Amino acid sequence: MKFINLLKKELSEIITVQMIATMGVLIVVFMMMGNLMSGAIDSVVEDATNPKINICDLDDTELTDSLINGLKDAGAEITEISVNSDNYAAVLKENKIKNLIIIPDGFTESVENKEKPKLISVSKMESAATLANITNDNSGAASFINNCVTNIVAQQTGMSMEDIDLITNPIEVDENTVVADKTANISISTITAKLASQSSMLPIVLFVLIMLTSQSLITSVSNEKIDKTLETLLSAPVSRVSIITAKMLAAAIAALLNAVVMMVGFLVFMKDITNGVTEQLGEVVGESLSVDKALDVLGLNLSVGQYILVGIQFFVTMMICLSVSIILGSLVNDAKSAQTAILPITIIVMFPYVITLLTDVNALSTVPRILINAIPFTHSFTAMSNLMFGNVKMFAIGLGYQILVFAVCLFIALKLFKSDKILTLSLNFGKKKKKVQTED
Amino acid sequence: MAKILEVKGLTKQYDKVLAADKVSFDIEEGEIFALIGPNGAGKTTTIRMISTLLIPTDGDAVIAGNSVVKHPEKIREDITYLPDEAGAYKNMTGIKYLRFMAGLFTSDIEKINAYVERAKNMCGLGDRLNDKIGTYSRGMARKLLLSRAVMTKPKLAILDEPTSGLDVLNAIEIRKMIKKLAAEEKMSFLLSSHNMLEIEFVSDRVGIIAKGHLMVTGKPEELKERYGASNLEEVFERVVKNSEVH
Ligand SMILES: Nc1ncnc2c1ncn2[C@@H]1O[C@H](COP(=O)(O)OP(=O)(O)OP(=O)(O)O)[C@@H](O)[C@H]1O
Ligand SMILES: [Mg+2]
Repeated sequence: MKFINLLKKELSEIITVQMIATMGVLIVVFMMMGNLMSGAIDSVVEDATNPKINICDLDDTELTDSLINGLKDAGAEITEISVNSDNYAAVLKENKIKNLIIIPDGFTESVENKEKPKLISVSKMESAATLANITNDNSGAASFINNCVTNIVAQQTGMSMEDIDLITNPIEVDENTVVADKTANISISTITAKLASQSSMLPIVLFVLIMLTSQSLITSVSNEKIDKTLETLLSAPVSRVSIITAKMLAAAIAALLNAVVMMVGFLVFMKDITNGVTEQLGEVVGESLSVDKALDVLGLNLSVGQYILVGIQFFVTMMICLSVSIILGSLVNDAKSAQTAILPITIIVMFPYVITLLTDVNALSTVPRILINAIPFTHSFTAMSNLMFGNVKMFAIGLGYQILVFAVCLFIALKLFKSDKILTLSLNFGKKKKKVQTED
Repeated sequence: MAKILEVKGLTKQYDKVLAADKVSFDIEEGEIFALIGPNGAGKTTTIRMISTLLIPTDGDAVIAGNSVVKHPEKIREDITYLPDEAGAYKNMTGIKYLRFMAGLFTSDIEKINAYVERAKNMCGLGDRLNDKIGTYSRGMARKLLLSRAVMTKPKLAILDEPTSGLDVLNAIEIRKMIKKLAAEEKMSFLLSSHNMLEIEFVSDRVGIIAKGHLMVTGKPEELKERYGASNLEEVFERVVKNSEVH
């Protein structure tokens, strides 16, 4: 009963209008991002099926005319441009275009003389973003022209298309990917691309969640210290364990709410993207379905049981954060330090998060591997991949280690609350020197 | 008269500072006792030990038969504590705060209601109780916190600098509330203040503390007579001088 009283108060302190507003904004942002992305994808798909190609035909022969007509027949929107300089940047700017194919003088002659004719392709790069440059790429048009010329050469030399194909692609690669003891008939790059898009979500959600929850709990504890409401609580007839538990439970409930909101937001976002692609590119659907099947065959789709294990690991992770936040919050004595007190958590979470994004921790050499695995949060970010790739032992070690770390942190937090250290200890993050001076 | 509080040689050694050195005094039922002394004298330290917040380096304090060292959880049933410069949850309304605090002392809804009703009548905030505490003036907040501290009728209410930072009228009001509760309900109070003139008006007995030492205790009149002083400030001056001579 007293505990419920405490919990209710903690919940009303944490779940504020501000937090609900933040969650609302988060959902709106996800939805907007989804819409934007699917819009961008739509236009890319549109441009891929009906590419806009700018051609400057300096050769102007029957052959080049037929090439251009062939491109038109294939659905391309051709604009003919006249170019009289090889300053391509100026040409693109002058004509307000982003790509250009130049068929140089002598193209036809080269074909007839069985020399390799030259085709000039100019593309403007506008940003480093993947989607932004796709429409400026001429490679589709170039390969179309390449095919046409191949045809002509085949006729010239009396070879059949089959002969040519045999010469250019004399072998067929049957790509197989092996995971643990399972094999699937698919290329490793396809699997990697799929996994990257699929499993990036949970770590991001976890990362954001850790930051949000830690900050709110640190603020809550340090506010109690600054306003001295903590002293009132500690002198009241309630157990100190229940004071801590109520704070942690309230923060955990808030975190769970945030997690649900973020997952829903992310799913909406992902759905918008996949819809954008699947509606218009029929073949891609077929392919991605077979990728899904391959993931199943390889055991890379986590089972429900494995998802529960990942959930447990994330739960323990949050518990570590909560107990560390309680400790950090207890050490703070002024509002300014409360803002920076989260820094230690940021560092020890950010570091393994980035590392695991970039590389496989288990494949590092001994010393860095042990160092990185000593950071408890590393195991949160490797949990999914450990389960996917059958490193059950590594997962179990990670989970056990995290439980141990949690027990130690909780013990320290309880010890702080049960002794008088919570009122006498203080780390004024970055302000220590100043304080000593004023006291003197 | 029965003793509510017996302080026996309470000592607190911080890392470098000996903030309280063998402090001993007692408080009787219905008595208002004030610790007076300058900033840094050790008033808050002594009070926090009695409130079970700090663990004494040495010595003990007994409240209604329980020791703060051995049974702090029993002490917490019998006391309330109002920290110096205390704030409250700024986003809570006054009434919610009272309910929350009452709920820490009992799980009995009827008792909670009775406590809250009592605090409501005492604080005189009226409808403002439905506003967030963040919007209160200093005086309003102090009245709310004081009524919170006495609503449960504790055996000993411990108030650290209850009038500091208030204007004269608010200070007088607070002092009247304390005196009335002691006289009519036999509640006992342990107060602290560095304003020695003001404390004369409210306390039955005072203890003068400086640099961690409790120098003398006694009724204000007795002390003034003993040291031939016209007010407590002069008493303090002479006490400190005497101790330096020895
Ligand atoms: N947490 C602490 N750690 C170390 N020293 C402390 C701590 N708290 C108080 N002190 C020191 O103990 C001494 C007594 O402090 P205390 O707060 O008890 O004085 P006070 O009489 O309440 O003063 P004030 O009138 O300013 O409130 C001071 O010298 C102070 O610097
Ligand atoms: Mg003080």
